[in-house]
Amino acid sequence: MTARLRAPGLPRAGFFLVLGTLFCAAIIIAAREAYGFPVFADGGITTKAQNAILLLSLLIAPLWFLIGLGAFDYWFYWAAGKKERAEDHSGHGATSWTDYFRVNTDHKVIGIQYVVTSFFFMMIGGLLAMLVRAELAAPGSQFVDANAFNGLFSVHASLMIFLFIIPVFAGLANYVLPLMIGAPDMAFPRLNALSFWMLPIAGIMMTASFVAPGGSFSTGWTAYAPLSTSAPLGQMFFTIGVQFAGVSSIATALNFLVTIITMRAPGMSFWRMPLLVWANFSTSLLVVIATPFVAASQFFVLFDYALGFNFFRPEKDGDVLMYQHVFWFYSHPAVYIMMLPGFGIISEILSVKSRKPIFGYRMMAFSLLAIVLLGFTVWAHHMFVSGMQDWIRIPMMVTTAIIAVPTGIKIFSWLATLWKGVLHLDTPMLWALGFLTMFTLGGISGVILAMVPMDIYVSDTYFIVAHIHYVLYGGSLFTIYAGVYYWFPKMTGRMFDERLGKAHFWLTFVSFNATFGPMHLVGVKGMPRRVADYAEEFAAWNLFISLSSFVLGLSTLIFLYNMVSSWRGGPRASANPWRAFTLEWQVSSPPPIFNFDRIPTVVGGPYEYGVPGHVHGIMEPAEEARPKQAAGASSAEEGV
Amino acid sequence: MDPATLGMLLFIISEIMVFGAFFTAYFFIRVVGGAEWPAEGDHLPKLIAGFNTAILVSSSFTLHYAQEAIRKDNRLGLQLGMVATFLLGLTFLFIQINEYVHIGFSPQDHAQGTIFYGLTGLHGAHVSIGLMLLAFVTIRSFRGHYSSGHHLGFEVPGIYWHFVDVMWIVVYLTVYII
Repeated sequence: MTARLRAPGLPRAGFFLVLGTLFCAAIIIAAREAYGFPVFADGGITTKAQNAILLLSLLIAPLWFLIGLGAFDYWFYWAAGKKERAEDHSGHGATSWTDYFRVNTDHKVIGIQYVVTSFFFMMIGGLLAMLVRAELAAPGSQFVDANAFNGLFSVHASLMIFLFIIPVFAGLANYVLPLMIGAPDMAFPRLNALSFWMLPIAGIMMTASFVAPGGSFSTGWTAYAPLSTSAPLGQMFFTIGVQFAGVSSIATALNFLVTIITMRAPGMSFWRMPLLVWANFSTSLLVVIATPFVAASQFFVLFDYALGFNFFRPEKDGDVLMYQHVFWFYSHPAVYIMMLPGFGIISEILSVKSRKPIFGYRMMAFSLLAIVLLGFTVWAHHMFVSGMQDWIRIPMMVTTAIIAVPTGIKIFSWLATLWKGVLHLDTPMLWALGFLTMFTLGGISGVILAMVPMDIYVSDTYFIVAHIHYVLYGGSLFTIYAGVYYWFPKMTGRMFDERLGKAHFWLTFVSFNATFGPMHLVGVKGMPRRVADYAEEFAAWNLFISLSSFVLGLSTLIFLYNMVSSWRGGPRASANPWRAFTLEWQVSSPPPIFNFDRIPTVVGGPYEYGVPGHVHGIMEPAEEARPKQAAGASSAEEGV
Repeated sequence: MDPATLGMLLFIISEIMVFGAFFTAYFFIRVVGGAEWPAEGDHLPKLIAGFNTAILVSSSFTLHYAQEAIRKDNRLGLQLGMVATFLLGLTFLFIQINEYVHIGFSPQDHAQGTIFYGLTGLHGAHVSIGLMLLAFVTIRSFRGHYSSGHHLGFEVPGIYWHFVDVMWIVVYLTVYII
């Protein structure tokens, strides 16, 4: 037992977590004693001291957990100035399921860790959504009070955004991106492992807020000040959880950028990179630049809440509106963080499944970069009714409308890719086509919302709820499903059940529209969002929406069953079941432990489907590949 | 460019944005809100802080000296430069804490105090991280690591320290001088 507590791993992590909590308790008790605040009363610790211990533990104890897990072992070794030792790769790769529960530096293991963890939190977030819809099935109060209802939708949104959509894209990219550019791993494998392990910490923290004194955080995922600075302690589970999710996300983005810039295989120029790589390059730029703002906004809240600072206290010259500016300066780019990787996935799938070169490859890449730039100029369109200076409204309306241009370029390029293609309507392709239609609808309601008068009219109604679910469910989640089905054979070495996959798509597609479509109508009629009760006139539609949402929830179970049973006993997948050009399909399924037995050489573009004799990559180092390169390269150039 | 340097530069972009968010708060409180700066009855020790600025800036030069020394395989120069840099950084931090003790207002008093402590404290936290990295480099320089052809593990923390210095000049100018 002592040996297990000494070696890095989950037992030691648990032990250190306890130690860390005791450490925090000792600090708080000592500090309060030193300053003469009451600590002990009636044979126990006072409530204030308890809350302080809990708050400090939220901040500090997770670091102890990570140290116990072994995430910092190498760096401690480095910091102490010991003799450098050669990497023995003992932390690399997985031979059994237990290898997924330790600090693992293999990007393929980390990718699967990410995807499985984020789907776990997606299930929790989905259950919370079911509870929200159950409460809203009829007017009046069903089974939760108004405050608990606020907690339900707040945790639902926070989990879906910070623990599902953002990290699941990071997970998929973690798995396929190094393979796609011909790299043996990510640039910083240990940092990669550390980024992953911060994620379950953030997720468990947000979920655990339900047991916090005073209930879970109930200020929405936006946590506007001063509501959040005066909320019960559960609010801090969000404030601090976001810090961990944010650090994780920044570290991963750094890793992607450095990997893409420095580790591309010979011949893989920027203009030969698959669009998924381009999409993650753009997303990572957004994360590195924008995410520090949400970290800072939550630090402000933490300081105001815990230490009595005055960032948001107007009576002491603080500025409440500043929270919204700082928060949305992150959170508007964040919607592109949640969408651009999906664009990349769709570009891969549409090109492969319609057997045609992607239309306007360079414009697809440039439009991603244009979205990155424009994404920073539109944040105040979330604040049209906030009471900010009036003159900001029109410029923000104009820039928001302009963002529809690069997005439109992508939509039309995808349509042109499909034009006269040989469409293979299997599961990944169905999801991709579903995405095209649903995301276009969400995008159109987005442009409607950009118009100031319309926005003021439907602010805080179900029209907003409908819009965000059309872009994040019909947009992002559909691309996630498409990507998971598409790369499932590569990740697991097994094929999924095609019939179940199609059933999953059609059931989700229909019930998704039945759930969120009518929300546009009740929203325009004025039903307010984030309220547990509503007027009698909306009863019929809401019952319909709730029933549809339960079908939508059940459709997810088909997906889960398909994934689990196919992973355990599906038919073996070949190396390249979709006949794709990109490099990840040129190695076995699942790929060898260091990805490529020999460094590949890239000699042509990634999407020249239907071009006779086209070659994207040769699985040989450059020197040996050269004689063969002549034939492949010349036909590739004609194709371009 | 080698991965570690590139990673550090991207990380610094992130760090600049963290400071950017705190400067946004400063901008809203002082410019948009029009709060008096410094708050009525408060006084900012411009001169001492200016002296402190000189200390921190000179630490960048000693660090540069240490880096030049190891390029010529001058181990003694490396060790001297590192110790000097570390001590200068520590002095800066010490004077800053001393300033907090004697400045006469707290972050709880008013929003000006909040953002003053916010910006200088955020910078102080970065100095502490930088000092930690410098301590590791100093330990390693005494344990015989680094040579003229192998000093990347020294260059990368060095970039961070220069960033911390430059950031202080910006903080000093906006908080104390303007």
